[in-house]
Amino acid sequence: MTSEVVTEFTVNGQAVRLDLDPRESLLDVLRERLGLTGSKKGCDHGQCGACTVHVDGRRVVSCLLPAVQVNGRSVRTIEGVAGPDGALHPLQQAFVDHDALQCGYCTPGQVMSGLACIAEGNAGADDDIREHMSGNLCRCGAYPGILAAVRAAAGRREG
Amino acid sequence: MTDTEESGDRTAHPWPPVERTPRVGAREKVTGAARYGADHAPPGLAYAIPVVATAGKGRITGLDTAEAAAVPGVLLILSHLDDLGIAPAGYVMADGYAFQSLQPLLDDRIAYRGQPIALVVADTLVAAVHAAGLVRAAYDEEPFAVELDAAGTETVLQEEALPLPFLADVVVGDADGAYERSPLRVDAVYETGPQHQVPMELIGGVAEWHGDTLVVHEGTQSAGALRGGLARQLGIDPDRVQVITPYVGGGFGQKNSLQPHLAPLAVAARRLGRPVKLVLPRAHTFHAASFRPVSRHRVRLGADRSGRLLAAIHEVDQQASRRDLLPATYTEITSRLYGISSFRGRQRHVRTDVQTPGYMRAPFEHPAAFALESALDELACAAGRDPVELRLSNDAGADPVTGKPFSSRHLAACLRRGAELFGWAERPPDPGSMRETDGTLVGWGVAAGAYPVMTVPVLARLRARADGRVLAEVGGHEMGQGITTALARAVAGDLGIGVDRVDVVVGDTRVVPHHLTAGAWGTNSTLLAVHAALLELRARLGVPREGPVDVAAAVAAAGRSAPEQDGAEVVAEALTKGPGQPPEAVDRMRAGLVAPAGPEYPGHVAFSFIAHFAEVRVAPAAPRVRVSRVVSVADCGRVASPVTAEAQVRGAVVWGIGAALSEHSEVDPRFGGFVNADLADYVIPVNADVGRIEVAFVGEPDFTLNPTGVKTLGEVALVGVAPAIANAVFHATGRRPRSLPIRVEDLL
Ligand code: FES
Ligand code: FES
Repeated sequence: MTSEVVTEFTVNGQAVRLDLDPRESLLDVLRERLGLTGSKKGCDHGQCGACTVHVDGRRVVSCLLPAVQVNGRSVRTIEGVAGPDGALHPLQQAFVDHDALQCGYCTPGQVMSGLACIAEGNAGADDDIREHMSGNLCRCGAYPGILAAVRAAAGRREG
Repeated sequence: MTDTEESGDRTAHPWPPVERTPRVGAREKVTGAARYGADHAPPGLAYAIPVVATAGKGRITGLDTAEAAAVPGVLLILSHLDDLGIAPAGYVMADGYAFQSLQPLLDDRIAYRGQPIALVVADTLVAAVHAAGLVRAAYDEEPFAVELDAAGTETVLQEEALPLPFLADVVVGDADGAYERSPLRVDAVYETGPQHQVPMELIGGVAEWHGDTLVVHEGTQSAGALRGGLARQLGIDPDRVQVITPYVGGGFGQKNSLQPHLAPLAVAARRLGRPVKLVLPRAHTFHAASFRPVSRHRVRLGADRSGRLLAAIHEVDQQASRRDLLPATYTEITSRLYGISSFRGRQRHVRTDVQTPGYMRAPFEHPAAFALESALDELACAAGRDPVELRLSNDAGADPVTGKPFSSRHLAACLRRGAELFGWAERPPDPGSMRETDGTLVGWGVAAGAYPVMTVPVLARLRARADGRVLAEVGGHEMGQGITTALARAVAGDLGIGVDRVDVVVGDTRVVPHHLTAGAWGTNSTLLAVHAALLELRARLGVPREGPVDVAAAVAAAGRSAPEQDGAEVVAEALTKGPGQPPEAVDRMRAGLVAPAGPEYPGHVAFSFIAHFAEVRVAPAAPRVRVSRVVSVADCGRVASPVTAEAQVRGAVVWGIGAALSEHSEVDPRFGGFVNADLADYVIPVNADVGRIEVAFVGEPDFTLNPTGVKTLGEVALVGVAPAIANAVFHATGRRPRSLPIRVEDLL
């Protein structure tokens, strides 16, 4: 039996303290313990990006990260992206405006990666966006809309 | 309630002009608020994980669960050693509910590698996963066959094995004689598959008992099949099963029927008196549900010297499981895409040791179009004709198979408009004649597609509320195709109210019965019911049959004139079915069984059409194919929702890129099962694989088909993408791809 580890971190600015099994992934903790089900499980192997969240401002696939490792760190999930009044973040609005989704299952991960893609300075050209958004699979094939949304949120026109 | 038969009054109720309504539910999806099946987390939840067979075929001779059971937190381990009290649900295509007739965990037989042999349930997911890894099985193994040509397969003729009129070989004229007499002939074999649907949402959900009622939260395209199937399996009244599936994270055919994990999950939940969640590991999904089988096509085309088609022979072998035969309809479109006066089809099934293959987007039409449209490109080369011209000169008038008219047919318009948008006129005819300065070869290809328009029974209920809002409760499922957007638009447009004043409920068996949503029939069928319900609602509100309605005022007025109503809402229902469908179709729908009508209707046949134009670039050093540009023009009747319709076509083009260039489920005859069972090795397109995609619609409403003028789109959109890419690869390289996916070796 693995002994539990006290883990303290913040999620979307809220302090959290949990006794965790070291084998629990951050994704499962968010979804099953904290009720933050916006982050999705598409593979549990770091292959699809549906579980993408930010830890200390950097994107990670939360299915591969043992939750105990975020001790002392700050986690941001899709639930923490819109304003406190519910106003959509400009990238979320761009996803709506460019219809960058169909079933929506990959969308939280796409938005979290899109935010990172822009913050990392990788939204300067369409091919950069395509490349840096390629860790997030979309089986519905909403890629052209995702490209357009990230491009628009980065303040660029087509090209 | 109205029971509207067939197409009805088609002039009294004109549909408003098309507006670009944003996707309904987009806000919920971009904020993470949309709730999918496995997002449900009731108090006291336990977690289940299956254990799967590691033998290719045989018998379980020993199952050791002691070590697993000793893991702290493990609550239950279900297997064939236990009496689960589960009856088979029956095969979905044989008056049943399940993707295959085999229900695992009931006996010691192993029919294929990856078949579940136990279900471990624990307090936590980590405990369940850990314990599942400790279950040990011993097998008595038997020889098995997983490839079409392997020893031990069995081949059966479809029209003998499945003696149903619509599954008989299509025979028109004397195709063999006409082929022999043809001055130009093409004779080639094409092969595709196996492939897997891999929707991003994993298979799974939550089963919980509320008293003696089973409540299931799981992403599915067929809430009615889950309801009816679980009732049959557990021996309970269907009214004691509720299936709730407001959002489905992609289906593509994988979620079109009952999966075998659910009945054991319900048993576990009942025994434990706790809700249980099961999310299948991605690797399991490659064996736990259906897949696109291998299909091998021999196509023979005969033509005169100008390329005018005189005969076509299309013979198909499709992979089957040992138990079930997936009714094949490859020749349904290949006999109709062109005006061919002599046609002979033959469809056979090759039984292998796999789970039963099934429906994956355009299940027969995508492979069939790859075969026919590649062969047609070969014929265009032989005849020295432009491939677009060749197709236009072979267009059909009436349906070549039945002689009936098409309800509408605008394939020529798709080809002409696509050629114009693409700039096809600039295409040099010879392969290898477009080369960039760095040596990159560029090729342009075209292909057409068709897909049958089917219609299913639907119940729609509209609730006009005192606050001016309208609630639409409809038997259908939202898998991302945009059905809720199309329905909300239809209600809002008809009544002249904002789309934000309409709420649509789909995927909930508590409010209406649900037919399977697949075969692209969801939108046209539900719109038909909503159309009829709107007429009924107007009658109940006492407002004219058309024109804007002040819903709040009309509800208040109706409440005053009918005081027995409470004044809070006015309710109207309509139940519709396909033209010519017998009343039993409605009974089947209510029972969760499949009941589609079409594509042959009493006075016509109905198909959607599409033309795709693709540009590929093939790098000189290691031939890697990139699809830089696609133009697709569809004839889907009236476009019910432009924003979501365009997305459907773009998504299908992405599917076609995957099908043409990367997707293949690998089998190893030594082990059985599928070996590349994860998202790193089963390669679907990523953003960087997708170039520019331009989508247009003919937009002609088909009022012969139904009063909404809407045909179907989600499936036809994929049909022809892969051969357009393959034909472009030939144009770039002079190498003819005859199997998918196209591999680098094919181009060297
Ligand atoms: S679920 Fe984490 S990458 Fe797929
Ligand atoms: S929107 Fe369905 S997987 Fe991306």
